[in-house]
Amino acid sequence: MTQRVGRHRGAPVSWEPLRSWMVVGVLLASISARTSAAAQPATALRGMAIDTRLAADHRLRVGDTVRVSARPGEPGAPVRIDALVERRADPAEVARREYRARLHLDQAQELLGIDDRVDRFAVRTRPGGVDSTVAAINAVAFGFRAHRSRDVAVTSSRTFRVVDRFHRAIGLITVVASAVFLLCLLLLSVEERRRDIAALRLMGISRATVVRALVLEAALVSLLGSAMGAVLGWVTSIAVNVHFQSVYRTPLTFALITPGILAFATGISLVLGIGAGALASWRLVRTAPLRLMGR
Amino acid sequence: MSMRVTLATAALRRHPARTLLAVIGIAVAAALLLDMVMLATGMSTSFRSLLLTRGYQLRVAPKGTLPFDSEATIDGGQALVAALRASPDITAVSPVLGSTLALPGASIPSTFALGLEPGVQGDYELQAGSDFTLADGAIIDAVASRMFLSRTGAQLGDTITVAAGLDAQLRTAASTRRVVLRGEGRFFYVPNETPVLALPLPAVRAMLGPTAADRLSLLMAQTRRSDSLGVEAVRAWIERTSPRVTALSIDSAIRQVEERLSYFRQLAFILGAISLGIGFLLVSTLITLSVNERRGEIAVLRAIGTPTSGILVQVLLEGLVLSGTGITLGIGLGVVTARWLNTILRDFPGLPAAFDFFVWSPSATWRALAMLLVAGTAAGLLPAWRAAAIPVARALREDAVG
Repeated sequence: MTQRVGRHRGAPVSWEPLRSWMVVGVLLASISARTSAAAQPATALRGMAIDTRLAADHRLRVGDTVRVSARPGEPGAPVRIDALVERRADPAEVARREYRARLHLDQAQELLGIDDRVDRFAVRTRPGGVDSTVAAINAVAFGFRAHRSRDVAVTSSRTFRVVDRFHRAIGLITVVASAVFLLCLLLLSVEERRRDIAALRLMGISRATVVRALVLEAALVSLLGSAMGAVLGWVTSIAVNVHFQSVYRTPLTFALITPGILAFATGISLVLGIGAGALASWRLVRTAPLRLMGR
Repeated sequence: MSMRVTLATAALRRHPARTLLAVIGIAVAAALLLDMVMLATGMSTSFRSLLLTRGYQLRVAPKGTLPFDSEATIDGGQALVAALRASPDITAVSPVLGSTLALPGASIPSTFALGLEPGVQGDYELQAGSDFTLADGAIIDAVASRMFLSRTGAQLGDTITVAAGLDAQLRTAASTRRVVLRGEGRFFYVPNETPVLALPLPAVRAMLGPTAADRLSLLMAQTRRSDSLGVEAVRAWIERTSPRVTALSIDSAIRQVEERLSYFRQLAFILGAISLGIGFLLVSTLITLSVNERRGEIAVLRAIGTPTSGILVQVLLEGLVLSGTGITLGIGLGVVTARWLNTILRDFPGLPAAFDFFVWSPSATWRALAMLLVAGTAAGLLPAWRAAAIPVARALREDAVG
């Protein structure tokens, strides 16, 4: 069980500023002052990890030495690249195009000139001891505040909750549009069978049998359409993922077809199909067969 | 022509349920298209108008950052302000230093504070009370946001204490000041949920200590020439003469923000295309079926001398009437749903209070709806052509024998 302690008494503090400063320094230094690892004595250098995006854009490799500074224009200090880090599939980071570098804490403090300061630190407690630890820290704290990890997660996940609500709203509109479209098509497909229905009725087939046959047909059409839609959706989701993963350079999955989504789409399609089939066929079987024939 | 319109509407009235469903379908498609056009163009429009609220065309931020995107600050702020003010191409410069200040004894632990110069500030507009001055006495003036007042329970005229440089080990603040709340302001660039205080810039610098003595978070500049070439020339000059800063014009700032919010633009494009497709397919299916049902009637019209073009126009008119009615309903529906979707997206954390995602842009909207109208009308083209090309004798015979 962990909790986080931020340096201000207020909302949870992010590490972003520190990272942003480092990023600026790394960016400038990597372009202007790249040196080879062999040129520096390896023992004197501290190591750091950079993300693969930075490495790819500036052709950096493990073992290369770059100069990093906290502020643009300063000569900075040489640092050896010890590791390349693949970015997590984090939706919060997907639209941010900045680079990331990870340094040792004391190294970052020295570089930034913020002796013995941190943005936040995490505390692991014994099971069940989170609340009492948070209360104890906050009772004695001055200039910082403890937050439960759960609360931090709720605050930082607000973006996703907004996007999720937006997606649901857009989804509702598209489902309504698709439902009207589907209803219209199914009604029309049954209406087009006027002459067939009239012939069946004139042959003495009961109304109930005709209705059942048409409803079954509509249900089968809906099921077949759903299956084709699922295949189309699967192909589209692959295209969407390939496109956005390349645009945002992330392993994040943007479109995912789950069994729940399949069941929902098929269910809607079936309900609409059966409803439209029943409605249209009931209207038609109640009309005199000769009138259906146009006589 | 009026006869053809009458015939077209009569054909649609013959199957009211079918026509109603098609109109509803087109209305929903038009509403979705309208919303997506508003989303695609709205962010740029809204952001542009937000940035130009006070007429500042340029933002100067620490190198490689967007304004207030990090806690990085500009070193040598006073010299930079002086250099910009000395330029004949710049008419106004507004320096800004942002920080978090503690509120000892208040109901909230801290507030976001902006150090500003009152005469040139472009961050807020006064809504009640009076503005602050640069007078640096024992008590300094401040303008607070509504969120600050509601969360602290303070009122205009109250005096509060703000502190900076809290030391966790010594349990002391490096600096505290008494502040009287002179006015209430509407802050353009600060999210609604953030309490904010505007204070005199020198007072904020003094509170933050020697490390902030000559630092700025942001500079806003107004250029003499307001055309894009004039603004761009000043922007390039600033970046050339001050290598530690990034100067952003309105266009470059919009480009960067659009890059971050590009997901919404792409989503808008995809859904807009889908809604156009739905409209096209609906009209096309309906008209095709309608034409198939009326083969005999069309053959009779041809037999009594109606020209091919007349049949073509009549069937196309059906598509036009369907699309036109659906689009008219769709505009109202689209505006209502756009407001609803905008309310959802305005909850996005960290966005300025005045930022809108869905903005009515007349030219873009009419262009998109005209496309849907053309698509709907064109959807009737193939069935109209087939109707006009019906072999009269065979169609009459088929209709007669059933």
